[in-house]
Amino acid sequence: MNVTDIAFWIFAAIAVVSGWRVFCTDSMVRASFLLMLSFIAVGLIMVLLNAPYLGIATVFMMAVEMMVMALFMVMYMMNPAGLNPMMMVHQHRFSIAAGVFLFAALTGLIIVTRFTSNPVAPGTEVVAGLGKELLGDSMLIFETAGVTLLATMVASVILSSRSGRFGAADTGSVPPPLEPGGEPAGRQPGQASGHAHHHH
Amino acid sequence: MTPIALTVAWVAFLLGMAWYIAVLDGLWSAAREGRSPRAPLANPLYRCATMLRHQSNLTEAPDLLNWRLAPPLYAGLAGTGVALVPFSSTNVLADLEVGIVWWGAIEALTVVIVFLHGWSANSQFGLIGAYRYVAIGLPVMLISMFVLIATALPAESLAIPKIIESQRGLWNVIRQPLGLPLFLLLGLSLSFRGPFNYADSADIADGTAAEVSGAPRLVWEFARLAMLTAVATVAASVFLGGYLGPWLPGPMWLVLKTAAVLLVLVGLSHQLARISPSRMMTLIWTVLLPLSFVHLVWAGVLAL
Repeated sequence: MNVTDIAFWIFAAIAVVSGWRVFCTDSMVRASFLLMLSFIAVGLIMVLLNAPYLGIATVFMMAVEMMVMALFMVMYMMNPAGLNPMMMVHQHRFSIAAGVFLFAALTGLIIVTRFTSNPVAPGTEVVAGLGKELLGDSMLIFETAGVTLLATMVASVILSSRSGRFGAADTGSVPPPLEPGGEPAGRQPGQASGHAHHHH
Repeated sequence: MTPIALTVAWVAFLLGMAWYIAVLDGLWSAAREGRSPRAPLANPLYRCATMLRHQSNLTEAPDLLNWRLAPPLYAGLAGTGVALVPFSSTNVLADLEVGIVWWGAIEALTVVIVFLHGWSANSQFGLIGAYRYVAIGLPVMLISMFVLIATALPAESLAIPKIIESQRGLWNVIRQPLGLPLFLLLGLSLSFRGPFNYADSADIADGTAAEVSGAPRLVWEFARLAMLTAVATVAASVFLGGYLGPWLPGPMWLVLKTAAVLLVLVGLSHQLARISPSRMMTLIWTVLLPLSFVHLVWAGVLAL
């Protein structure tokens, strides 16, 4: 058993234990980051398998994704900050049955599959090879499309977020009128403040 | 160098640079307030000793595991970042083929760690700091990734040593002029300083560190300095040619360039005012991120 084997067993144990803890914890934030930990351990196993780009890209993407997911869950679930205990699992019987079935099926697949033993020669440029394998000559087109898509997403969010529920974002918020088409409810910005009549 | 000597050099570099930043901070604050600094060289060490003597605070029902783990993990991420950078053409602690992807993972994990640090204390100021930090930290990270990808284009590699070697003729700071300024913003954001201090600022009573005192606070403050060091070291390597330079040995050049970048970063963090988080969001998404797109196109066309 060499260092790589020991590292594999450690990462595998982290992946399994933290994946299991996701279903035992009582907080959305903890569940998200336990899931992240599980994925990070899997990513590091991929690094051990001489797939450094895929492994580290997994770590990178899971960190961002779980961060965003935790934040959005807390925002939408009305659970102050996710520190309050809450039940994180639903449909117990169905999910236990589905979990057992999927685990058995995947384990069965691993056992019956004949994996090829084709080690990568040391010194092979695996990252460059992966890029050519995935994209080939379309690298430039793909990258251009990727940046263009991101720019489009940012632009559409910025354009659509200007008109909010209470008026345009850059004019300050105005409450809705009490009757359709009427004056906005409440005190208007710029009007005399409510403290004026306290003067003697 | 042997791996052991390299590791010792790595630790000494991190500690030395953290001390250097703390000294610069003290001198800059004193100059701005118009007083003469007291024991500027030893003051950071006195402050370490003071923090160590303080009791470690405990809040009501914190997530103790995450709360106590966040400072050392943050420091560890900073240390990993420095380990990616070669001290000379033969001496690099972590010679990764995908160095800048790993640096991207460090940035992403830093956002997670800072969030957890603020969240796990179970205190409202910490939580506000944590939320504000994620809102600002994630888009700044996007900008820095585009900037780093641009440096990989002329090198045709994601490895930091190869990016340095690609600058033998011309440094990236000249070839890709927008890169270094945009990357310096990342440094301020990753260690939440000055204009990017949304996590631990005074308006929310030190934010994510509001309830932290004693040894955990010392580790946390050291980690901020170490993370700034890591950013400066990476910036010196991918934009300023790292260990490349005439007359002096390679490691000396790296130390000098890192120290110069740190001087600029400390100056920026003291001289620039912070704007409100919502305005900073607008600035990032509508000005800085499009600038990084322009930068990437510029670098791509040059590399073609």
